[in-house]
Amino acid sequence: MLKKKICMVGQFGVGKTSLVRRFVDSIFDERYLTTIGVKIDRKDVSVDGKSLTLMLWDLAGEDDLAQLNVSHLRGASGYILVADGCRASTLEKAAELQQRITQTLGPIPFVLVVNKADLRDQWEVQSSQVAQYGWPTFETSAKAGSGVEEMFLGLAAILIRSHAASEAPGQ
Amino acid sequence: MSPSAHLDLLAALGYAVFEQSTDGSFHSLGDAPEWLPAGSLMEAFPFLEVFLPDAEAFWADPARDHSTLPSDFWTQTDARGNNLHFCAIAVAGEQKLLLIERTRLRFEQTQAFVQYAHQTKLAHDEIARLGRELQRATEAKSEFLARMSHEIRTPMNALLGVAELLSETPLNAEQGEYVRIFRRAGDNLLNVINDILDFSKIEAGQVELEYIAFDLADVVQEAIEIIGVRARAKGLCLNSDIRPEVPPRLMGDPGRLRQILLNLLSNAVKFTDRGGITVRVKPDADQPAPCTLHFTVRDTGVGIPFDRVSTIFDSFTQADASTTRKYGGTGLGLAISKRFVELMGGRIWAESTPGDGSTIHFTARFSVAETTTALEARAPKATAPAALANRALRILLADDSEDNRFLVRGYLRDTGCVIDEVTNGAEVVEKFKGGAYDMVLMDAEMPVMDGYSATRAMRALESERTGPPTPILALTAHALKEARDRSIEAGCTDHLTKPITKTALLEAVHRYAPEHPNAGRIHVAVESWLKPVIPAYLEKRRGDVAKLRFALDQGDYATIRTLGHQMAGSGAGYGFAEITEIGGTLEESALAGDAARIRDGVDALDRYLNNIVTE
Repeated sequence: MLKKKICMVGQFGVGKTSLVRRFVDSIFDERYLTTIGVKIDRKDVSVDGKSLTLMLWDLAGEDDLAQLNVSHLRGASGYILVADGCRASTLEKAAELQQRITQTLGPIPFVLVVNKADLRDQWEVQSSQVAQYGWPTFETSAKAGSGVEEMFLGLAAILIRSHAASEAPGQ
Repeated sequence: MSPSAHLDLLAALGYAVFEQSTDGSFHSLGDAPEWLPAGSLMEAFPFLEVFLPDAEAFWADPARDHSTLPSDFWTQTDARGNNLHFCAIAVAGEQKLLLIERTRLRFEQTQAFVQYAHQTKLAHDEIARLGRELQRATEAKSEFLARMSHEIRTPMNALLGVAELLSETPLNAEQGEYVRIFRRAGDNLLNVINDILDFSKIEAGQVELEYIAFDLADVVQEAIEIIGVRARAKGLCLNSDIRPEVPPRLMGDPGRLRQILLNLLSNAVKFTDRGGITVRVKPDADQPAPCTLHFTVRDTGVGIPFDRVSTIFDSFTQADASTTRKYGGTGLGLAISKRFVELMGGRIWAESTPGDGSTIHFTARFSVAETTTALEARAPKATAPAALANRALRILLADDSEDNRFLVRGYLRDTGCVIDEVTNGAEVVEKFKGGAYDMVLMDAEMPVMDGYSATRAMRALESERTGPPTPILALTAHALKEARDRSIEAGCTDHLTKPITKTALLEAVHRYAPEHPNAGRIHVAVESWLKPVIPAYLEKRRGDVAKLRFALDQGDYATIRTLGHQMAGSGAGYGFAEITEIGGTLEESALAGDAARIRDGVDALDRYLNNIVTE
């Protein structure tokens, strides 16, 4: 079965681990436990009639104390940039990480996720701020589950199409 | 220690040990721990795909011999759904060894440390977010207050102003009483609005105290005079007692001090029906700081119940709910006074015996000012309000409210000022381009172009002309400090707040009226080719005025005749027919030896030269 490595990146506390947990185990835990190093999960999915194993690498969030170790993205087929809608600074951090990853790994597929849609009334991130990047974007709530599956499967679909294109004769 | 002993030790410590073969594959050394997942090493530990390239580089470096390279922690889930934490260690030596450690304690210790740091950061972020929200809410409140204040002050300006104008017309006793009630109620309403604005400014931290020299006795006396009208109406006596040890001249904020005294005296009069009120000022015996003064306002009124003495300085509080109905008021006056006193480095408190009156104490810190003489020598000369009659100012009035224009016209009716009216900023700029005005009264909010933009445009026009700038007085219903700053920043000379009294407007117009009003100016159109020589010509004629006066004093009619003749011959040629005419008169008068006529002619020439404007 086709296997694809997807990395979750973003500032700490934006909900990367909760998104994976919601997607893999259909669980949301109110407790906040910071990720140390990398947490690796797998999930078998079917997209456009094709089976696919997603290896989900949940990378520790970047903050003033620790920088993202870009080497952890080696071999990644795509990544998910996660921002917290309630903290505008996390969107800026996501944009900064995108630049850094692109500089190191070159252009690989990714999506932007603005998480915590259940706290919409407290959002600092404006739609116009998100739109300025022109990236494929999903609004999710790891807590309520909204948008999570669509987001992972959306990226999976992009990866399958990208894979099919690279496998096509003449490529 | 033998190799097998090493392996035993590592196994005892919980490590899985692998050795890299020459073909790059890994094989296990020693007994595999029970937690080691089945399958190939790479299948068992996907994390190794990012660590092994680093390990390979590490092993390839001869300088790394006998040292180790640890990996980051990673977490993966076992078949039962448990989270297991691992780290790997590459060991460089004769063999390329890879140790895998299942770690729990070190991971949890690290996680606890990082978790604490993150939660602290999250708490800081949350505090910052709440701060931003608070700031936004404060700004919204200030904006609302400014807007509300503007919307109330605009019609209040017309109401109070027309009442003032009405009071100046012939009225019978009954009508006069109606107008007095009308004005008193309007003043009270304005005080309420001002209290609310003051309080909101204090809350927003927008109050800055002045630090200027003032006479303490003047401030106390002014407060007593203002409140004295109401005290006398109730048959109360009002006294002050400033101890001789108190320095007469202080540095501080006299306006705010007056406001505190007015609040306290106003309350004292409100709650006292017989007896009197006394203001006392003495040095504060409890304070070592020099010039900390202790003020008391003692009344013989109803007093304050014991259990309410400590709450009367709280916002929106009066001694008793029923007093709100009996005595009225917002309950903000004492709260505002308390904040001002605190800003002055002092404190405020009350003592009272119900039925036997109250004493409000407050302390405030000042500095001793220089002597009056020294200060007055440096201070700009104050101009006393004076009648504007005969000044014949030409004023451009810009206001979109017909009521407010009517009011200003009424206030200035007897001054002889000529008023041109416009209703928006674009019109005021157009008028200003074409006319010579002594002053502009400028509303802030107008259609088409606001007063700020219009002022900037007019200042830009002036920068292309010669002569002093025209006084532009903002006359707006915006009362907050920001509005004043905005007016001054736009180029206004001063900022007057509506509602404005007749006295305040006349004082301001008088204060900023130019020495030589444009209304008395004589505009003379001259040929463009002559313009370069006109200034020198006129300067020479000004010199002639001094020569003529000297010659007249000396009885030197020959010189007067010569100068008059020269003027008669040249004036009209430069475009100044008046100079030719005056010159002819002077020549004739000199021939006739008519000193009085010569003096009149020289005065006429002097006036003409002072007021001439060439175009």
